[in-house]
Formats: sequence, structure tokens, C-alpha cells
Amino acid sequence: MTVTVEEGTRAAGRSRPDGPRRPRPRESYALFLLPGVLAFLAVVIVPFLMNTGVSFTEWQGIGTPKWTGLANYRELLDDAEFWASFRHSLFMVVAMAAVPTAIGLVLAAALFDYVAKHLGARVAAVLRACFYLPQVLPIAVAGIVWSWILAPDNGSLNALLKAVGLGSWQQDWLGDPDLALYSVMAVMVWVQIGFPLVVFMAGLQRVDPQLYEAAELDGAGWWRRFWHITLPQIRPETSVVLTWCTIAALKVFGAVYVLTKGGPGGATDVPSYFSFSTFFEKTQVGYGAAISTVLTVLILALSLVGLRLQTRAEDTAEGVRA
Amino acid sequence: MLTARRRTARRLTTLTAAALCGALLLSACGGSDSGSGDAKTLRLWHYEGPDSAMGVAWNAAIKEFEAQHPGVQVKFEEKGFEQIQKTAPMVLNSSDAPDLMEYNKGNATAGQLSKQGLLTDLGAEVTARGWDKKLSAAVATTSRYDANGVMGSGKWYGVPDYAEYTMVFYNKDLFAKYGIARPKTFDELTAAMDAFVKKGVTPLANAGAEYVAQQYLYQLALSKADRSWVDSYQLYQGKTDFHDPAWTYAADTFADWVRKGYISKKSTGTKAEDAGVSWIQGKAPILFSGSWWYGRFQSEAKFDWDSGLWPGSELTLGSGGNLWVVPKNAKNKELAYDFIDITLSKKIQNLLGDKGGVPVAADASAVTDPRAKALIENFNALSDRDGLAFYPDWPVNGFYDVLVSETQKLMTGAEKPDGYLSALQKAYDKGVPQR
Repeated sequence: MTVTVEEGTRAAGRSRPDGPRRPRPRESYALFLLPGVLAFLAVVIVPFLMNTGVSFTEWQGIGTPKWTGLANYRELLDDAEFWASFRHSLFMVVAMAAVPTAIGLVLAAALFDYVAKHLGARVAAVLRACFYLPQVLPIAVAGIVWSWILAPDNGSLNALLKAVGLGSWQQDWLGDPDLALYSVMAVMVWVQIGFPLVVFMAGLQRVDPQLYEAAELDGAGWWRRFWHITLPQIRPETSVVLTWCTIAALKVFGAVYVLTKGGPGGATDVPSYFSFSTFFEKTQVGYGAAISTVLTVLILALSLVGLRLQTRAEDTAEGVRA
Repeated sequence: MLTARRRTARRLTTLTAAALCGALLLSACGGSDSGSGDAKTLRLWHYEGPDSAMGVAWNAAIKEFEAQHPGVQVKFEEKGFEQIQKTAPMVLNSSDAPDLMEYNKGNATAGQLSKQGLLTDLGAEVTARGWDKKLSAAVATTSRYDANGVMGSGKWYGVPDYAEYTMVFYNKDLFAKYGIARPKTFDELTAAMDAFVKKGVTPLANAGAEYVAQQYLYQLALSKADRSWVDSYQLYQGKTDFHDPAWTYAADTFADWVRKGYISKKSTGTKAEDAGVSWIQGKAPILFSGSWWYGRFQSEAKFDWDSGLWPGSELTLGSGGNLWVVPKNAKNKELAYDFIDITLSKKIQNLLGDKGGVPVAADASAVTDPRAKALIENFNALSDRDGLAFYPDWPVNGFYDVLVSETQKLMTGAEKPDGYLSALQKAYDKGVPQR
């Protein structure tokens, strides 16, 4: 109501009240958003709502679904395999978010602060590209190559260990249930390092070099400069990297599918693979939909928390600068 | 006069409507190439590789079909097994269904489609064209499904052109190298495996991450089972108890074989391809697996080899091959029936046999390759004694994954045989269809 009156008042003051009116910037922006909104609705929202609907049914994928209410969710609570897959997810968060972020930070600082200064920017750029290469490789390709490397009998890792006299260290890296999860984690660390490294190196570009010079003049060593300047200055990037990598870890699928298919004996099962096998292999579509709904809600919640923390960190940083 | 908000809303509505209309038009155009029902096109889908025995035979059948049907074009689309497996219900429920399609046999696959009314009942054609006379009872089991989608009885929903069964592949050069005689009985087999272990050779090629390990286990159970045991397990014609003597013997023996080194613990995470390759490379002297390896072994194994049925067992894993099915929505069903008829002709069947497949209606004397002849003769012996016992993962949807996962645990010792059998019982009971 208020808007209508306001519009009318403004229109009355114009020289050509009945002519075509130029849309205000905010209105024209809305049009640009339209394709994205439609695509988002079609690709994300509608399938999510349909998936949620299916999760309240017992269904084999064809025929008529049978409404079962919350039965799938109740079953989920008591499903040891589901909870085991979530425990493995926490391991994947360590492998795909915590460890790569820590290693990426140190490597980025070393490349930026040491390699670029002493060996040249080109060498630093080449090394950065090398670290980033696993991110470019399709995970299916990387997974197959790693399954060759980690093969028990003629894998190159075991062959290498034997060649250097460490034959007793040879293992069935992906077939031993006590080792398989750690082997997959190691592969994922290799896959992930490039992403934080690139983001951190970009972040380091905007740190005022005078801070480092002043610290150096005051006699601060590399580690002290890293700890007291680099880390606090690139806190927003750290927050972004941790959020993105944690989400990637929670929904990891390809690597597990290619390397172990959740085995041996479920030792590397993760929720997304568990959902996939329940949905497509066991054709328990309703139950599979319930698993993926829970997973989506969880990832959404974590993303919101991550974004909130990030915003707070940015606000704090701006406050400090102001 | 419209307010700015209303105008914007109207524009949004117009754009949305335009986008939806566009999408509908696009989808309509996409569907325009579907079967026309003009009796001039046969739309055919299958997933056999062009170099496989079946691929070669189907290509020859296409040529034969076109020669017999002047003016009719075969529109062949090569699909992936997974592609058809995962999307068949949706495709068959649409107007894009082909006229003829190859599909996986069994309760959880063809049975499910037939139960949902997506397949054509081929009964009249089977009788009129005499297909039932060409297929043995054991092979035809996977062709017929009852109203619940359970194989073995009811209407004909599919026709297999080939069969498959498991056998023991022996590397004769390795047996000769270590001075070990090729076993003829089960006791001789275990004695031979013992001898290989003493020479530091793991005798059995295995893959714990895929079907190979579970097939050893099922074969051990079958060696203590009979037809009624199989019918109970596969066709639900009785109660299946995983703690019965056959399953208990299988689990105990398999675990024992891992302990004794007949099967490497390091094969827990390996795939079927690894097992096949280790046999081809001459690393393992024995592999127990299916006839689907036969053609590849013929072309890739660089040593003298031989094969035979599992010693001391009347039953072994095997069945009719994948099925030709005619979708309910197929446009040119008559052409599809004609094509099936050609694939069952002696000419195509003999070609399939010569290329290392197991034909179901071949003239054995016309197959020239000696190994292929032995393959077919072994199958005929098995078929004559009603020895095909299907595959262990068939009775329950998703049982394959359960078998893989639990057998891996049995191999690593994470699960004892008793716990292993209890886990199988739980998954089986949960998944068995209620009749």
C-alpha cells in the first residue's frame, strides 16, 4: 500500500507521466537473476522436494510407492552401517579439509615467501601448478591410477618399498580393513592440497609487504612472520577453504567408488556411497532417498554455519582495519 | 494503472511461461525420432562389445535380417550394461522404447519389469516359432516370470540366445612346471592346491571386491546341495537356512582355504579383472569363473590351458544368458520377433559358438574350434543333468553388495563363518519378496 502511494506520488512529478517508464536498476537486476533462479528451481529445489517426498515411501523405483511416513528415518537411526559411514565421513573431513588446509598454508607461505623471492616467481608458479594438477584430473582417472599404485601384488608402491629394502613394509593398502580408510584418506590429501594452496597464494598477494619488512627488521624469523602476520591476514581465505573442503568431504563419492566401493567389508563406506548403493544397487529407493535427504540437510546446516563464521570473521577483520 | 511491482511480476510470469513453452517444445523435438510403427524400422538396443562372441553374432544377425527384409532398416544403438540397467524402467515406460532390447535376466531385473507390465508376453510367438523346442528347461528358467516377477514359471517375457556357466581354468604349463597333475576329483584339487602352496605359489586367482570370491563360496555350497536346495534359495520354494550343512561347509571351507593360502588374503580388495589378468599372466595356476572369460583367454593366454567343470559337483553356477525382451510400447513387434528368430537360427548360433560363446541352439558338430567344442560339450552335459544353479546374488535386490562386503570380512577374519552366515541370513530374509 505504502509502495503504491509512493509510486503514484513520484509519477505525478514527472514530465511524461503516461510514457514508457525506465525500470529502476533493482528491477532490471531481477530479470538478470531470472534464468539462474529458474535453473536453481529445476535442478536443485524441485528434485530435492521430490527426493524428500520419496523418502517417506517404500519404493523400488518402479510401480506405485507405498507411503510409510517416517519409517525410513526411524530405520536410519538404528542402522549401524549408516552411522559407520558417517564416522568415516569425519575421517574424510580430516583428510580433505583439515590436513590439506594446514599443508596448503605452509606450502603457500613457503612458495610465496621463500621460493618466489629466491628462485623466482616463475618457479613458484610452476610448483603451484604441479600441486594444483590433481584438482584438474578427473577423480575417476586419479582413482584408477592410485588403485594401480596401491595394488597389493604388482602395485608400484609395494614394488618401490621392496626395491629400497623395505619389503616388510609392503601392505594390502586398499584390501586390509585396518588400512583401507587411511589409504583413501592419503589419496584425498593428495587430491585436495592444490585448492587451499591456490586460494592462500591469492590471499597472500593482498597482504601489505611492509608488514613483513617491518617484522623482518625487528628480527622476526620465517615462522614468527608466518604465525603472527600470514595466518591472521588470510583468515577469511582460511575460512572459505575450510568450509568448501568440509562440504566436499561430506559428499565425497567418486574416490570411494573407484578405489574401494566402500569395502573391504564396509571399512571405507561413506554416506553418499551408502545412499547410492541403497538407491540403485539394492533398489530401496525410499530408504536411499531418506539417507540423501539427511545428508543434504546436514551439509546445508554446516554450510550455513561456515558462511556465518566467515561473515563474522570478515566483519571482525574490517572492524580491525577501520 | 499497473504498479512497478505488478509490471515486474507480469514480466516474470511471461518469461517463465516462455521458458516453459521453450522447454516443452525442445522436449517434443527430442522425442520426434522415436519408433514410428511403420514396419520399416527395427530399433534395436544391446550392450555386447563388438568383438565379443555375442557382438559378432548379433552383427551377423543384423545383416541377415536386412537381407531377409528388403526396405527395412535396423537402427542399432549400442548401450552400456549399467545404462540400460539403471534407466530401463523409465525408457520402457515412455514412447521412446525400442522395438527390441537386451536385458539382464533374473527376479530383480527382467522379473521386476515384467511385474510392472513393461514387457510383452512372448508366449504365442514362442510356441508358433518353436523357440521353446530349441531352449532347454534350465536355460528357459530365466525366460519365464510369474505375476510376482519370480522366474521359473508363468509367461514368457524374454528369450536368451546363449548360455553361461562357470568352470575351472587350468594353466597346464604351470602344472607341468611344478610337476603337479591336473586334478580330476575334488580331493585331487585340494592336493594340487596344497602342492602349489608348498612351492610358494598361491593356487587360486581371486577377487574379493567383486563376484569371484562369492562364486567360490557358492560353488562350495553347491557341491553339497541338490536341485530342491537351489529352488528354495533362488525360487523361494522352501525355507533357506544359511546355517544348513551346505552353506556352513562353504563358509568353513572358504575361510580354511584363506588360512591355508589357497586364496591370498591380499585379494580382499582386488577386482575380477585383476583375477583374470593374474591368470592370463601365469601368476595363478587356477581360476574358477565364467564362460564370459573364454574368448579373451583364447586370444590372450600365451600358454597351454584347459578347462573343466568343478570336480565332485553336479551343480554349478550358470544360466541362460541375457534376454531379448520386447517392450510393451514397442512399435514394430513383428520385426522384433523376426530378429529373435534369426538369432536362434543354426547359422548365427554356430557363429556364436565358434567365437567362444555358449550357444543354446547350435549344431555342435558344425563348431570347428576344438576348445569351443569342449566348452559347448561341457555345457550340454551340464544342461542335460539340470546342473545350472544360477548366481548367488540373484534372489534378493542388492544381495551382491552384501555378499561382496561380508565375504571380504570373512577373508580378513573380521567375521567368523557363523557370523558371516548370520549376516547373509538377515539380508536375505529382509529382501526376499513376500508371495
